[in-house]
Amino acid sequence: MENERKLTIARAMAEAMAQEMRLDPTVFVMGEDIAQLGGVFGNTRGLADEFGTDRVRDTPISETGFISAAVGAAMDGMRPVVELMFVDFFGVCFDAIYNLMAKNIYFSGGNVRVPMVLMTSTGGGYSDAGQHSQCLYGSFAHLPGMKVVSPSNAYDAKGLMTAAIRDNSPVIYMFHKGLQGMGWLGTEAAANVHVPEDAYEVEIGKAAITREGTDVTIVSIAMGVHHALKAAKVLEAEGISAEVVDLRSLVPLDRDTVRASVRKTGRLIVVDEDYHSYGVSGEIIATVCEAGDITLKAAPRRIAYPDVPIPYARGMEQFCLPNPEKVAAAAREVCRTTVSA
Amino acid sequence: MSNDVRIPEDLYEGDEDSVITAWLASDGARVKQGALIAEIMTAKVQHEMIAPASGILKILKQQDEVVTKGTVIGQIS
Repeated sequence: MENERKLTIARAMAEAMAQEMRLDPTVFVMGEDIAQLGGVFGNTRGLADEFGTDRVRDTPISETGFISAAVGAAMDGMRPVVELMFVDFFGVCFDAIYNLMAKNIYFSGGNVRVPMVLMTSTGGGYSDAGQHSQCLYGSFAHLPGMKVVSPSNAYDAKGLMTAAIRDNSPVIYMFHKGLQGMGWLGTEAAANVHVPEDAYEVEIGKAAITREGTDVTIVSIAMGVHHALKAAKVLEAEGISAEVVDLRSLVPLDRDTVRASVRKTGRLIVVDEDYHSYGVSGEIIATVCEAGDITLKAAPRRIAYPDVPIPYARGMEQFCLPNPEKVAAAAREVCRTTVSA
Repeated sequence: MSNDVRIPEDLYEGDEDSVITAWLASDGARVKQGALIAEIMTAKVQHEMIAPASGILKILKQQDEVVTKGTVIGQIS
């Protein structure tokens, strides 16, 4: 490699937006503190300088207003990228998201498009308590009409953002704060990877086999992928070969890749920083069980967030979060046990 | 010949400590003069570290380490 060019996810997102803005005058960005400050998570840094504040707009704290405005702009031919600063704030603006953004293509009989991206930060681990630390993957993925993606590394972050901006349907782009490369939010160095300078797309709805293995499949998304990879490394030294599937997209969900992996390994662990019940982890387990031709060698397991509001106290929050140790412990158990015929 | 990657005196105002939040090139990777190779954060503001020369990067201070102005965080040879 002539010049290694690692980016943080924050930089990769900004680069994708900048490249699409250069190509397409209908692309614009808006949200709270995204212009002058460059986004509290760094993902819009430099955009206002290059494109000006007509195309990179700071909004008031009025999520219902500016997300609804983006829906209208998208229906009128623009391609807005809008930031909901913390996914936890969805409560005040969900009508705009799931009754307008998600449904207007259907309600118009397919006569209008809603090509917009709603990017929003997820995740905890840095003691920001229960209104700033949730993932809520399942809440968004549950409702039809929106694609939902979440990258685990900078390469996917850029390619998924490019694909999301070019998509003619609304895309929820969830970025985990601990993967942004923003020090104070926690830092995951493995998220910073080499990123090609030229624009490219990562297909929405396609999972990646991040690590190949034969004994157990660990399925996850965003931060959970890094927990899975760290666990896999520990397990390898103990003679357990773990395969890691990075979903990358929750909607559409790449069920084929998940099933193919579990068909091979016969064991399944899902790592999900969203709440345990009624969420992504249950959906993945159902996906495997419904296939009908997969014989599990052990009961499936999920390492998810307990069904409690996220604690502020560091010790309590860390106790609740998924981590590599919990994943490795679950893998040891499923690799020892066998389901009786 | 090797060139120090040193935190410049004018990277940010004040003399407080800062933290390496990201290395954007790997230890042992080839980098080009002028390329962005690291991010340094102080008071929640990120600053860019630029490669002073082309060559092979040797990382001397790791991500999350606390550094100050003048600290040599790597070498390029």
